[in-house]
Amino acid sequence: MPVSLVDLGVIYGITEREGVVEVDLTFTAMGCPASEFILDDVRERLLREVGVREVRVNVVWDPPWTVARMTEAGRDALESWGLAV
Amino acid sequence: MGTQAEFDQMIKSGELIESTNEMTPDYLKELKHTLIVSGDTELISAPAYYLAAKRAPSINAFMTGIAIIQDELAHAHIAYHILEELGEDQEKLIFSRDPKSFRYPYAFDVPLDSWTELVVANGMYDQAGFCLLGDIHDKCSYGPWKRGLNKVMAEENFHLRNGRTWMKRISASGGSAKDELQRAVDWMFPLSVEWFGLPDSMKMHSTQLEYRLKGLTNDQLRQWWLSTVVPYCEQIGIKVPAHKEVRDGKDVWELDYPFPCDFDAEAKRWDFKHPSSWDDVLVRWRARGPRNIEMVAMFQEEFHKFRKTHHKNGAG
Repeated sequence: MPVSLVDLGVIYGITEREGVVEVDLTFTAMGCPASEFILDDVRERLLREVGVREVRVNVVWDPPWTVARMTEAGRDALESWGLAV
Repeated sequence: MGTQAEFDQMIKSGELIESTNEMTPDYLKELKHTLIVSGDTELISAPAYYLAAKRAPSINAFMTGIAIIQDELAHAHIAYHILEELGEDQEKLIFSRDPKSFRYPYAFDVPLDSWTELVVANGMYDQAGFCLLGDIHDKCSYGPWKRGLNKVMAEENFHLRNGRTWMKRISASGGSAKDELQRAVDWMFPLSVEWFGLPDSMKMHSTQLEYRLKGLTNDQLRQWWLSTVVPYCEQIGIKVPAHKEVRDGKDVWELDYPFPCDFDAEAKRWDFKHPSSWDDVLVRWRARGPRNIEMVAMFQEEFHKFRKTHHKNGAG
């Protein structure tokens, strides 16, 4: 994908305590076909950080994602791929 | 239509052709032929993948499978839509052609019977599609198609990822699951290798290359495919009948079996002890494989049934 999860606005929160990282994230649609890949990527990437020994990802649906949650950089990236946002 | 000299100059200078006014009749014919192969390949992958996606091991996996099928239908639509702009009748192309006249790689005619075979198709057939379309995206002289492929390439990446992630996962689980994966690779690898067609040594002239409808030869595309698939399979512990050699400082991928050789489509088995000729392969391709008629019927039958009912109701 040409846009990061942060720019897409699907990361709702992230906390860390004693090497355990907890992430709240949502998907743009409940039927997101890439959801498993995204969860794998988040876990795999955070575990590469020094001091991180465990990653807990919570999938949340409230508040629901809308395009208003995207950053300016995210919008620009999607527009360059021909998606109007 | 423009003059031959104007057309030749555009092709030579690398300019993009944007409308039929700028084409010669022969360029138009080659462009249509190339688009039909592309559209037919994307379209037929939908029923081929659907029959296997039904066997997905989880709802999430099924959603991914269905999303890939949706992409493939959209990619087919891009090709057929351009064909319509070039004067063809999209409805006739899709719904009124004889199954045998569809121009897609033979590989899709051999049934994908499990989730494992589907993900190998995503890893190998979609990689073949990625090489072929990537080359067209990079080099194609017809502007509307080149631009349409921007998004196609991004989506094909997602299919590859599904294939690779699952192949890795199945291989890592070992035991009978890994054996099943190896069996799938054993018959699907050589089918993907022949996807790229006749070797360059037998195909001296390519109008597609001359018109810049594509940029790489069959063997160059085949090498590209091998250079991605072989290392990946080796990395995840799956055997493939090919290896790398270094010749004149360049990596060259060599097949460890006679190419081409006999294939039993019903048994899904290659006979590496029996080399065949390209004439034999062309006969097999033209006869189409076991699932050709069933797959084309999947979208043609319902269309005609609906049409009949619709007309009846309209008249009443």
